[in-house]
Amino acid sequence: MTTPPVRPRIAEELARGEVIALEPVTLTREMVVGYAREFDPLPFHLDESAARRSLLGGLAASGWQTALFAHKRLIEALPAGLDARLVSIVDLKWKRPVLVGDTISGTATIDDIAPAEGNAARNTLTVGVEMRNQRGEPVLTVTCRYALGGVGSANGGAAA
Amino acid sequence: MTRWFEDVEPGEKFPIGDHRFTAAEIVAFARAYDPQYLHTDAERAAAGPFGGLTASFCHAVVVGHRKMVDALAAEAERLRRAGQEPGVSGPSPGLSRIEIAAPVRPGDTLSYTLTITGKRVSNSLPGWGLLFNRIDAVNQYGEAVYFAEVVGFSKRRDYKMPLGIRVRMVLGRLVGRVRPRRGRKG
Repeated sequence: MTTPPVRPRIAEELARGEVIALEPVTLTREMVVGYAREFDPLPFHLDESAARRSLLGGLAASGWQTALFAHKRLIEALPAGLDARLVSIVDLKWKRPVLVGDTISGTATIDDIAPAEGNAARNTLTVGVEMRNQRGEPVLTVTCRYALGGVGSANGGAAA
Repeated sequence: MTRWFEDVEPGEKFPIGDHRFTAAEIVAFARAYDPQYLHTDAERAAAGPFGGLTASFCHAVVVGHRKMVDALAAEAERLRRAGQEPGVSGPSPGLSRIEIAAPVRPGDTLSYTLTITGKRVSNSLPGWGLLFNRIDAVNQYGEAVYFAEVVGFSKRRDYKMPLGIRVRMVLGRLVGRVRPRRGRKG
């Protein structure tokens, strides 16, 4: 049995201009401090009083942790069977601190989806991501480029 | 850097450390932040674009950040031991770009280097400067894995605060001193 080519299927399921909802996540003290201990052990991510004296004004999540949750929520929202490898990140802005107890959610808007250069089996997905806190204030904006592959693509990954 | 803003020279290059990526940590990280078979399932990944398990690129990038934080802490410690007062690094307002070039496989060791590419006084935060840094990650074969152009706040040693701001800060501190005490009693 032959598998249908992947590109038309992706083009049907993901279209330019589409807005993908990135589901909320609440950052607990345990998550913030646990992540910081492993990947970003700066005083303002670990210690309440140091954080209050810092530019962030309170115990705040590593900006990378916010970015990782945006990436994770996007991966979870993609059609089943697709894989998405990060290719580049452009103009990432950490707009305000994400403090312990904040709930962040957001959107990924598809700026472009096109066959990958030099690889007919894959597509390049460009998304504009915006994460906001529970008050609707932007905390992070970034543009990310992903190489998409998936079921049925010759070079793409999961065997159908 | 842990040097004062005034003491940082654009063009300077610092090796900030190596990291060997094990299969176990690649899978653990991916389960938490990048749950895709490419990074979590060696068997399925064998049929994938890289013919085997690879680390999430997010993983390679945040390990690079950790290396920078550790290098800053080590430099601060060195300065303190030499009887000098280290500078103060603030949070990062963002980065202009990251470009990813090669996969990271279990057992690979990445070497990270930080280069100061530029600096300027902050327009929005009095007393602070901005440092423009580039982080390069290279694997054990000498192949470039990624580079990142990031921005960080760095405190200015020689900054003289205008009188108006100083008065406001002193007043703010006085008010702050009274309020928490009340709070703690209650």
